[in-house]
Amino acid sequence: MEQLTQFSATELARMIAGLIGVIALVSVNALFLIWMERKVAAHMQLRPGPMEVGPHGAIQTIADAVKLLGKELITPEEVDRPIYLLAPIVVFLPVLLCFLVVPFSQSLIIRDMNVGIVLILAFSTLTVLAILMGGWASNNKYAVFGAFRSVAQNIAYEIPLLLTVMSIILMVGSFRLTDIVAAQSRYWYIFVQPLAFILYIICATAETNRTPFDLPEAESELVAGFHTEYSGMRFALFFLAEYTNMFIVSAVGAVLFLGGWRGPILPGIFWFLIKVYALIFLIMWFRWTFPRVRFDQLITFAWKILIPLAFANLLITALVLKL
Amino acid sequence: MLTDTIQKALAPLNLAKVAPGDYAKTGYHLEVAAAPAQLPALAQAMLNTGCFLESLTAVDVSPEAFTLVYHFANFKELCRTVVHASLPKGTEPPTLSQIYPGADWYEREVYDLFGIRFAGHPNLTRILLPEDADFHPLLKEFGAGDAGTGD
Amino acid sequence: MLEPGIEEKTFVLNLGPQHPSTHGVLRILLEMDGEYIAKADPVIGYGHRGHEHMAENRNYLQFLPNMGRVDYLHALAYNQCWCMAVEKLLGITVPERAEFIRVITNELNRITSHLLWFGAYLMDLGAFTPFLYCFDDREHILDLLDRVTGSRLTYCYYRFGGVPSDIDREFIDGCFAFIDRFRSRWKDYDNLVTKNVIFINRTKGVGIITPEMALKYGITGPNLRGSGIPYDIRKSEPYSAYPLFNFEIPIGENGDIFDRYVVRLAEMEQSLRIVEQALVKLPNGPIMAEKVPKRIKPPAGEVYQAVETARGEFGIYIVSQGEVKPYRVKLRVPSFATLSFFPEMAKDNLVADAVANLGSIDVVIPEIDR
Repeated sequence: MEQLTQFSATELARMIAGLIGVIALVSVNALFLIWMERKVAAHMQLRPGPMEVGPHGAIQTIADAVKLLGKELITPEEVDRPIYLLAPIVVFLPVLLCFLVVPFSQSLIIRDMNVGIVLILAFSTLTVLAILMGGWASNNKYAVFGAFRSVAQNIAYEIPLLLTVMSIILMVGSFRLTDIVAAQSRYWYIFVQPLAFILYIICATAETNRTPFDLPEAESELVAGFHTEYSGMRFALFFLAEYTNMFIVSAVGAVLFLGGWRGPILPGIFWFLIKVYALIFLIMWFRWTFPRVRFDQLITFAWKILIPLAFANLLITALVLKL
Repeated sequence: MLTDTIQKALAPLNLAKVAPGDYAKTGYHLEVAAAPAQLPALAQAMLNTGCFLESLTAVDVSPEAFTLVYHFANFKELCRTVVHASLPKGTEPPTLSQIYPGADWYEREVYDLFGIRFAGHPNLTRILLPEDADFHPLLKEFGAGDAGTGD
Repeated sequence: MLEPGIEEKTFVLNLGPQHPSTHGVLRILLEMDGEYIAKADPVIGYGHRGHEHMAENRNYLQFLPNMGRVDYLHALAYNQCWCMAVEKLLGITVPERAEFIRVITNELNRITSHLLWFGAYLMDLGAFTPFLYCFDDREHILDLLDRVTGSRLTYCYYRFGGVPSDIDREFIDGCFAFIDRFRSRWKDYDNLVTKNVIFINRTKGVGIITPEMALKYGITGPNLRGSGIPYDIRKSEPYSAYPLFNFEIPIGENGDIFDRYVVRLAEMEQSLRIVEQALVKLPNGPIMAEKVPKRIKPPAGEVYQAVETARGEFGIYIVSQGEVKPYRVKLRVPSFATLSFFPEMAKDNLVADAVANLGSIDVVIPEIDR
């Protein structure tokens, strides 16, 4: 924590600039991701997707965002007002904070903390709190179901996620994200830890509540799950958080397994974004191909398959390092 | 032949009529007439021969009586049995829902559309019409409204 | 915040009438014990239009368009059943070419119905993409049927004594092209869905219909055949031109959702076979019987006519008293019996399975409500 004590004026300026950059990035990223999701879905389904607004529908999402902004914010009568209003904000803040430590390139990082990965994991866990708040406060049975499922699911999948991350940390010997990237100067960790990568992607999909693990918002069962009662911009914030979350888990995945910003010719930031969006594409691919798992199968899968596998992977990593 | 088996099974029941039907004209292999009180025993006999309840309905034949119409068919062999039971208005036929659980909804439908109450039915409530409806549309006295011109 | 249900530890979850997976206006009251269902109670009748009552107040021809509105997904089978029942009452024989055309269009319609089920069902399970694949294929059939019947959904194509318009070369070529195209798609469907491990896990051993239960509830169609009973009206009570074609009745073993799925998929292939044979063998001749009376006034009597629709046995029971209007018409619809089994099927299962079960029995709500 020595960095926190050396807080100077330049650091502060850097932080403010970073924050503005992050907010800009989050908005642009969400707009792009939603467009990308539509296009990916469309092409997988043999149709062109949005084509009318802008070239290839590029600004369709902006039109949608404007529409959402113009919508009336409906607050149902029986909701628990303070919690209901707080939930969309709570869901969004931790996601924003995670950007503090994401290394977009060698120098493009707001604060290069020595506990970077821990910070990200800690904050991303807070999302589940917001989902629980939103679901509970909505006073709707479907929303409560969604929220309960979300909690159970996130707890179950957090464990293998941490274990896989730990096996990488063991190899690097540092929580600092830039160190993890630096350690992959010769080869990417995906080649030495393929199992960890697969586990990570599965858990990341579950953590972001994406198909096949989208049970908290399982449309055919729970209408819209925890955000059933949210409309307009509040709904948009949940939506935004989901897509930003997807970016975060993919960014962490790129750092842990794909060598972060490393790559020939192009500047680091390009390589980083290419890797992140490749991972995001993978997660989208899952969504548009798989049906949804059932709730008990989901939990069984986590506790009986993922966690033992992640443990085994961690043990083997530790043993190999020791030898 | 299943027709013979069914005829044999129905023989002890003392039914008013058990006769082969004209399949080409009506689609029935066997035509049966029974009194409403005989229906549960008849249904049990049909179930024992492996027949399923195809349909259950009523016809408002006259101001004095309904005819209950039951169709039975079989998964294995083509044999459709029709059972007609004349029911004086105001009386309650016995339910078949304990023998054929599928009859549960059919009987509710008949109650809904004709107002026939089935004695012993576990849940005889309206099924197609709203719960607060005060009419039974398939009674002839319900009338036609202005729908249809006839010719 | 959750109001207590009948028992203290349960609560009532209202599924529908507006819910993404009820496929029409169906409402199911679920008494829940956590994620498990203690009791399911379907509430139907939201789409009740009183077809049976309408039938008593219209003449025989006027009632014909109603049939396309009973089950909008397999409307031609309902058309055919009404026509056959009236033809039986009148004693009309339909010319062979007309029977062939009826079979061809009917089977194409059956494929559209199964395709829609396939897509919508996968959507219930959370997979969105197969839906659009199916609609892509379905669109080709709708175009073909549009060409010959003039409509795309609520068909009213058959007439007493035959069909009003003949099929042309372009329709026949279109059918052959579609058959080739559709057969080449099986691999995609298999890879995308049938072999998908999540799909298998969600459907194997779930929602079992035993033959005994099917017998007691009168369940027919693919739901029954999934349980291993080869009961298909097209074979067991042959009508129209069906006896002239070679086709099989696909059956399942365990009666679970997966078996029903496999049966429906296999049935589409059998329908293709029938269409193919009918197109090849298509005889020349008239498409309308000669002696169809202008004024349809069948003699007194009653008739029961059954056909095999995509959902099972559809029967029409007509009582005629020698008038221009039928005295009583009863529509025996397959989904009615199937849905009445649903409470037993859903009991003590997860709510997620209830949705999977409800989708797998392929009920069409307007058909139940009539």
